[in-house]
Amino acid sequence: MPILSVESLTMRFGGLVAVNELSFQVEAGEIRGLIGPNGAGKTTTFNAISGFYSPTSGRILFKGEPVSGLRMSAVAEKGLVRTFQHATLFQEFSLLDNVLVGCHLHHRPGLVASVLGTDRAQRRQMREKALEALEFFGLAERKDVLAGELPHGLQRALGMAVALAAEPEVLLLDEPFTGMNPEETRQMMELMLKIQKRGITLLLVEHDMQAVMGLCNYITVLNFGCLLVEGTPEEIRKDPQVIEAYLGAPGHAA
Amino acid sequence: MLDLLLQTAFNALYAASFMALVAVGLVMIFGVMGIINFAHGELYMVGAYCVVAFYADLNMPFFLAVTLGLVFVGMIGIVMEWGLFRPMRDNPLGGLVVSIGFLLILQALAVLAFGVRAEHIPPPTQVVLQPFGEGGAVMPLQRLYVILATVVLLSALWWFLRRTRFGWALRACAQDPDAAALQGISFTQTARIAMFIGAGLAGVAGALTAPLVRIAPLMGHSVIVTAFIIIIVGGIGSLEGAVVAAVLYAFVHTFVTTFSDGVIADIVGLSLMLVVLIVRPTGLFGTKERA
Amino acid sequence: MLEQRFSWKAAAWLGLLYAGLIVLPLLLSYSQREIAVFLLISVLLVVSYRLLTLTGEWSLAHVVIMGAGAYTSALLSKRLGVPIPLSMLLGACAAALIAYLLSFPLFRMKGFYFLIGSFAAGEIIRLLWKRFREPFGGPKGIKLIPNLPEIEIGPLYIDFFEPQVYYYFCLFVVSISIWIMYRLERSPIGLTFHAIHWQDNLAESVGVNTRRFRTMAFVIASFFAGLSGSLLAHYVGTINPNSFDVAEMVYVLTWAIVGGTATIYGPIMGAVVLTVINEIFLRELGFDQLRPLFYGVIMIAAVMFLPKGLESLVPKVGALLSRRKASGDAAKTAES
Repeated sequence: MPILSVESLTMRFGGLVAVNELSFQVEAGEIRGLIGPNGAGKTTTFNAISGFYSPTSGRILFKGEPVSGLRMSAVAEKGLVRTFQHATLFQEFSLLDNVLVGCHLHHRPGLVASVLGTDRAQRRQMREKALEALEFFGLAERKDVLAGELPHGLQRALGMAVALAAEPEVLLLDEPFTGMNPEETRQMMELMLKIQKRGITLLLVEHDMQAVMGLCNYITVLNFGCLLVEGTPEEIRKDPQVIEAYLGAPGHAA
Repeated sequence: MLDLLLQTAFNALYAASFMALVAVGLVMIFGVMGIINFAHGELYMVGAYCVVAFYADLNMPFFLAVTLGLVFVGMIGIVMEWGLFRPMRDNPLGGLVVSIGFLLILQALAVLAFGVRAEHIPPPTQVVLQPFGEGGAVMPLQRLYVILATVVLLSALWWFLRRTRFGWALRACAQDPDAAALQGISFTQTARIAMFIGAGLAGVAGALTAPLVRIAPLMGHSVIVTAFIIIIVGGIGSLEGAVVAAVLYAFVHTFVTTFSDGVIADIVGLSLMLVVLIVRPTGLFGTKERA
Repeated sequence: MLEQRFSWKAAAWLGLLYAGLIVLPLLLSYSQREIAVFLLISVLLVVSYRLLTLTGEWSLAHVVIMGAGAYTSALLSKRLGVPIPLSMLLGACAAALIAYLLSFPLFRMKGFYFLIGSFAAGEIIRLLWKRFREPFGGPKGIKLIPNLPEIEIGPLYIDFFEPQVYYYFCLFVVSISIWIMYRLERSPIGLTFHAIHWQDNLAESVGVNTRRFRTMAFVIASFFAGLSGSLLAHYVGTINPNSFDVAEMVYVLTWAIVGGTATIYGPIMGAVVLTVINEIFLRELGFDQLRPLFYGVIMIAAVMFLPKGLESLVPKVGALLSRRKASGDAAKTAES
């Protein structure tokens, strides 16, 4: 059974159909790329899966269970966690506090325990988990630095550390390579392979074809809100439809 | 019964006109400055006191006193733009706080100048029209003046906004200050005009209605609450919405007051606003959000 | 933020502060003691207001919610004979309940819309008190609200109408309440509140139900606001709808803004400094009517010239002191 399946998803905004009857499936343990030219509906699809939007019609199943229409926090609770484009972080918090917020789902003390401090053991566990997540991304030494003071490339890594602290089964990454130089891109790709080794499925929306081709096991291509083709990176690279979609139809190219 | 209905409709029409003046002023200021002016009710109050000072105390003609009220309160608007709102650009919470602070200052100054006691001034005309004959619904001429003045002022404003370069600049700044700057429009200049008009409308509303209400330093409170209800119901950036919502609200409020009581009418009005906020925060006629 | 270490220095300062607070009424005149009681109640109110603003929403209904606590506690004790400390707790619970009910419409809104929506909701509640003579007493409100019963143990005689006695009672209740709010903020729940303030989408994406936590902050803040209302009602003995009108709300807002809301002591500083200036300078000098003018000028000046509040001065003063001390030490070592 696929871990994530999108079933005839349609997203309409007013008169505009951003995504039309889209269906695809993601298998557990893979790194899946969701690509397409500008305006193909990638980000809309991504937002619908993560619960940021409620689908106009169609549904999204996670491990066979419908998650469409749930609020984002409920989707995260099921094990489907997203990251954001750019450096969406708690800029005013230390790195450690950022990741501690990510631990929220797995440490929810009651009001009384919080006030009396009887949740000390739990808090220690939470802290250890947060430190471990920072360690994973090589950020542990800077745990007390404010997130806003971090270099740009590391902010992206911190964003992933926050998401990872929520212990997702599927991690949804929104354009993780945007604005990165080749060296940063390479490091980010290594991190993603490391995450995959932990048994976490990755679905990434991306514009950077090089990174997607080198990283993903399988690629889904969208165009005009519909599924264009699916296949391995080699198949996609050669597919005339994909080339046409990206370069424009021969007639339009001139 | 028909007479009562007609009478209530007359009263509502009168209420709608001065409420529309106040609300349109508030929307003008919000449109350009992006700040909700909490002191707007106090500008209305100052307008009313202008009539007390110029008409009742100095025996000037009523029309002149009203005009002075408009200009004086408009000037206060310019001072507010310069001293309060300009430093608070891009800080809506700050703008809100300084306007609350200014509201308190205006109230205190009114108390210092005129005392806490409410004042009544005799209307310049005591004539009461009876368009439906003896015993039918009545319309005091003073109220009719308010309605006519509102129609004239709002038509003039409409002409100003649609037909002059200033109006064009004003609308450009309300839509997108940065793009307007690229067109060579001075934001400060435009903001000053918007503040003059916005404040002046509140002032003239206060001046026009001064002979018909109890004038007191704290009278602005119920005015600002009413204006909030109207601009929320009408859609927070929409001038046309404010006018339509003023009419709608005035009719609802006046009819509920007549057939139940004033407090219930206030509750109904506030509930109307809450419902709009919940169901359609952009208001019944609004399209854009800047808050 | 969650780091908590016991520090002797902080404990010593706190001990000193409480020693001062306990001695304070002995140094004050009768009317000044009354002011001290009101100030304690205001401190509880403004600290609870800050708890609400932690999640980023500014309400204009807080004083009305305080009133809900006052009305409930007053009615329960006067009409139904509920013993007073219990009626105070029930008043606080009623305020929390009202906040919970209001959260359904209000938390569909954000920012300015929330502000204006909370204002509308608060005014509706206040108008209901005004409209319904039974049980709220209409515009005249409720009079002759009983206070805590006198206590007589041997030679010890405690009368809660004595401002000094009520001061100690309030000090006790307010201290516990602030301690609870402080602990809450320093817990993972408090971290979540702050997270929602800065990036609600990011918080939501890792499983924080932002709506639920906003409601939680609102309800807890309202509980303590209701408690402060109960403390007020039984002390002054009479309350009416105008005791909780928007002018009072503006004062609370001013305390929070002048003091700053980044720390728990910020709003307390705001309330204390403004009340002291207000009572000492304005009242003693007979400029009582100037209170709005004073608050208006202070509000504008604070936003313009001290946007981070009085609290932002504390680290500066601290740094200044330690620098002076350091340079003094350096001078000493240089001499020797």
